[in-house]
Amino acid sequence: MTPATRLSLACSTALMALGGAAAAQSYTIGITQNNVGVDSYQTTYEQAFIAAAEANPDVDVVVLDAGGDVARQIAQIQDLVQQDVDAMIIWPTNGQAVIPAVREAYRAEIPVIITNSNIAEEGFDFVRSFSGPDNITQGQRAAEIMCDRFKEKGIEDEAQIVEVTGQPGYTTAIERSEGFQQRLPEVCPNVTLLDSQPGNWNREDAQQVMEAFLVQYDDIDGVYSGDDNMGVGALNAALAADRAGDITFVGATNFAVGYDAMERGEYWGSIYQSPVDDAEAALQTAIDVLEGEDVPFLNYFDTPKITQENMDEFDRPVF
Amino acid sequence: MRDERLKTLLKGGAIWGFILLELVFFEVAGRIWSLSGNAFVDLDNMLLLLKQAAPIGIIAVGMTVVMINGNIDLSVGATYALAGIVMLDSMSWPFMEALGAGAIPLAWGFALLTGALLGLINGLIVWKTGVDAFIVTLGAMLGFRGLVFMYNGEQPTYHLDWTMVDIAEAEILGLQTPALVFLAVVLGVWLLMTRTVHGRNAYAIGDNRDAAVNAGLRVGPHILINFVLIGVLAALSAVAFYSGSGSVNPNDGMLFELWAITAVVLGGTKLTGGRGSIIGTLGGVLAIQLLRMGLGHIGAQTETVNLVIGTILIAVLFLDRQLNRKGAEELKI
Repeated sequence: MTPATRLSLACSTALMALGGAAAAQSYTIGITQNNVGVDSYQTTYEQAFIAAAEANPDVDVVVLDAGGDVARQIAQIQDLVQQDVDAMIIWPTNGQAVIPAVREAYRAEIPVIITNSNIAEEGFDFVRSFSGPDNITQGQRAAEIMCDRFKEKGIEDEAQIVEVTGQPGYTTAIERSEGFQQRLPEVCPNVTLLDSQPGNWNREDAQQVMEAFLVQYDDIDGVYSGDDNMGVGALNAALAADRAGDITFVGATNFAVGYDAMERGEYWGSIYQSPVDDAEAALQTAIDVLEGEDVPFLNYFDTPKITQENMDEFDRPVF
Repeated sequence: MRDERLKTLLKGGAIWGFILLELVFFEVAGRIWSLSGNAFVDLDNMLLLLKQAAPIGIIAVGMTVVMINGNIDLSVGATYALAGIVMLDSMSWPFMEALGAGAIPLAWGFALLTGALLGLINGLIVWKTGVDAFIVTLGAMLGFRGLVFMYNGEQPTYHLDWTMVDIAEAEILGLQTPALVFLAVVLGVWLLMTRTVHGRNAYAIGDNRDAAVNAGLRVGPHILINFVLIGVLAALSAVAFYSGSGSVNPNDGMLFELWAITAVVLGGTKLTGGRGSIIGTLGGVLAIQLLRMGLGHIGAQTETVNLVIGTILIAVLFLDRQLNRKGAEELKI
């Protein structure tokens, strides 16, 4: 050990002793986010997270952003371990690649909370809690919105619908479709799901899928999409074919484009997922874990239904 | 005579002085701003620094050789990603799965072979067509990245093998495997460049290619060897990193070529070739990683890192120009 290291070690020990005496109940929580600048959901999330932390006098936060780079996120996790934070929140850039780094944090006895999108199952043993939206519930609630609308129109026994799903292979896409397809027969047993095709989270892809559906099927009463971005793509295809008026459009996550289309009366409903709730839930989960409270492994925050009827209760989504 | 030596030291040592400055700054600033109770200049933190510097560092060592040789390689990031994909994907080939843990060294071998092959392609084209290496490897950068996306679309390639992770996290004297590989590469290539005929010829070719040809050096094969070397090193970097992470995103390694070149230039290697050193590059790599880590330590926003590194790159090159003036304005001590 060089004299410099020894000196710094001595100093840091002294500092730690001082810090410990000054604020006994204070927690330091580190967060490494996926890619803050890339969309407004993530930007709003970060602002809300910092605001929530500032509002809480017992919490200091180290806010990091991986910029979408897996290697940088792994380095940030290691840095947070090195800084000996009390708890760590990770928004994974890649649900698999962070697992070994999460194991390092686990071995250093730092509780890890995953936020927004979960890591792969091999890593569950090293994680204390997942805080985020429940995609299955989102799908189920979308099915209820669709069914309620059909009942209002009196077509719940004859309606035929199509589905535009997200990117194949992605958990979010699979779960949103699963929740919908499982709930729909329970509430509206006579509605027929004609077809289901991937729109890859992409508006143009969804539009093409819908164009094909419109040619194939003469009678379509409803369209369910994995998110509003694809839903609006499908809506555009129907508008171009002059068939949008007869169709009920429902999405599984409300985007600004969907909100605007609802305002125009073209799009029926969706599920409201707020980045502010997402961020606050993640911070609260970390605090609860540190306070020794009993936190469920899958700690979902609520994502309510939004339709043309109740949309004035919600702000326009930022994304 | 003593003055001469001091002067050489000053000229080549600018980067190490800068590293010292960074260490002092972050240590002091960390006391004020950092939320962490731990010191910045802490043995464990410095060992972690070496590990985190390894992926770009290993590539930067190869880049130094190619740049001393008067060329450049922009395709290293794509080579890195492709080698990583081959390594992880090969683990799930039927005959490899049958081998159990014995498949691991074989997978590493496949990755290195991929790197060598891609380097060979670059080298052959540069040698046989005479097209500038910048253009050839720019094309290769796009082409190899295309291969990466063809392999598995936009999906990550994934194979988590805990034995492999444990090897990647194994420690000798507190140094984890990637850091050890990095240091071994630095030592090995330093010996290659300073103690062998090939190394001396690489300098000669980069300094003045026509003179090298006239002196009877076989320029082409030397260039070819160096491109194969950097290909293998890019693959080795992938082996060291992905063994410990187990998953490759198709856009991994993007901009690695620019970070490697930045490190090499910070370390005093000339873009025009003929001058430079492996040890200087080690300094450049450490300086960049220290900045990244240090700015995170004192709680600076992540976005500021690139701004600071860019500014420092220009400042260092300016300083280098001032220190290396010739004639009447030459540095006097």
